[in-house]
Amino acid sequence: MLFYKAWLESRTRFLLSAITMAALASLFVLMNKDVRADAAPHATYSQYLWLTIYKGYLRDIFVVVALLFGMGGLARERAYGTSGFTLTLPVSRWRLTGARAAVGVAESTIMAFLPAILLPLLSPLVNEVYPWPQALHFGLLWSLGGSFVFTMGFVASALFSGEYSAPIAAVALLFAYSIVADLPRVEQYMIDIHDFMRGTGPQGPLALAAVIATSTMLIAISGFITRRKDF
Amino acid sequence: MDYVIETRDLTKCFGPFRAVSALNLRVAANHVTGFLGRNGAGKSTSIKMLLGMTYPTSGSGTVLGHAITDAKENREMRRKIAYVGEDKQLYAYMTVDQMIRFTASFYPDWSEQAAQRLRRQYQLPPDRKVKALSKGMRTKLALLLALARRPALLILDEPSEGLDPVSIEELLQTLAGVAAEGTAVFFSSHQISEVERIADRVCVLDGGKLAADLSLDELRQDYRRITLGFTTRPPEHVFEVPGVQRIETHGRQVIVIARQNTNEIVQRARGFDAASVDVEPVTLRDLFLATVRHVQ
Repeated sequence: MLFYKAWLESRTRFLLSAITMAALASLFVLMNKDVRADAAPHATYSQYLWLTIYKGYLRDIFVVVALLFGMGGLARERAYGTSGFTLTLPVSRWRLTGARAAVGVAESTIMAFLPAILLPLLSPLVNEVYPWPQALHFGLLWSLGGSFVFTMGFVASALFSGEYSAPIAAVALLFAYSIVADLPRVEQYMIDIHDFMRGTGPQGPLALAAVIATSTMLIAISGFITRRKDF
Repeated sequence: MDYVIETRDLTKCFGPFRAVSALNLRVAANHVTGFLGRNGAGKSTSIKMLLGMTYPTSGSGTVLGHAITDAKENREMRRKIAYVGEDKQLYAYMTVDQMIRFTASFYPDWSEQAAQRLRRQYQLPPDRKVKALSKGMRTKLALLLALARRPALLILDEPSEGLDPVSIEELLQTLAGVAAEGTAVFFSSHQISEVERIADRVCVLDGGKLAADLSLDELRQDYRRITLGFTTRPPEHVFEVPGVQRIETHGRQVIVIARQNTNEIVQRARGFDAASVDVEPVTLRDLFLATVRHVQ
């Protein structure tokens, strides 16, 4: 039932985000001639989709959405006055954190695969082809990258309960990570999550494992913060 | 006597501020215990520590025999108790029915029959969202969720806060009914009249410290308010004998709240040519004010 609660809590923003993402991805496909002529006149269809979706506008929106999925949790419930009810349920704070994290990761994964499914499906409607393996490859990169971004929002919302302070902290955390990951001596040790999602960063099994491990660690940090906190 | 709550030197500090200071609280089983105190006395913090929502800075305690500072034991304890918080906020995005199903899933002793009976009794519309309920209705839903799990102990933090007189009356009747069925009730309040109506024991907290712990029968039997009138201003120290809780002087009138030695106080007053002597039972209000001012 904790999953059910986490789903009810987040379903409005999830559905709105999904509709927005699906609509934009569809628009980029269905209006590709007009947009391509303006944005990337010399690009092939695949290059155009990469520029607008996997590198550009839609990826930026996805990052913001994934960050927003991380908002909420017990710190936010404290501001709404429901933390008393939640914390007196006979479950551990780890379980509360875990259920919310699982639903958030699942939601950002679904969001990540939305363009991956829509692009190959809709392309024949405009007499184009977008290969499924390529779409699913980006779906995988986005799902892992999105989960990583989600966990940054998750940590920020465990630390801050304010309506604005948590999102601001999440954005700051992501910016700080991106800047540090681009530093000359650091870039070989840290994965730039934006490059990773664009498909221009490291994509081997080690890189995938590193992103998964970092996301798991960030969820564990959130759980630890929540466990220690007074409400 | 069996105790459902026992604390030993329970202390909570927020930086340099001691919200609760070495609290030694004992709440008896099968009783309704009022937890009285002014705003900011430390009542809510104490309750939060009992429930594991806030960690004590030092000290220890048990609720239904489970250590409050042990996460596993605290979780086991929460399976057996019910808590209704001050603002009675529940998940705004759920309907009444969803809220009931959600809560039921955590409690093996949940009585669906009791839940449906209370829902009908409280006239809670099953499909209405919690955010569309009035505070009175929210309180009823919170009580339903608390009572349908058949708890051994019901803890309420300022349960009547923000309710209209009719809702307060219904609430007090519900609590009295729950206690009659054998559930221990521990509720915080700063409304003396409510505590006096349904509690049979009272603990007074002031400045984070336990200032009084007694039964209301004890209060009615043992405590006396002695009002003395004099023709000249009498010396206060004359009435400082063991058992005196408070001495108040208003011009030529002296009011003494005493637990014992009433006769000696009366005799001393007569020795100083008291013009009038009235000995009356003490109300909870008298004792509360005497205790709180005395501690200050």
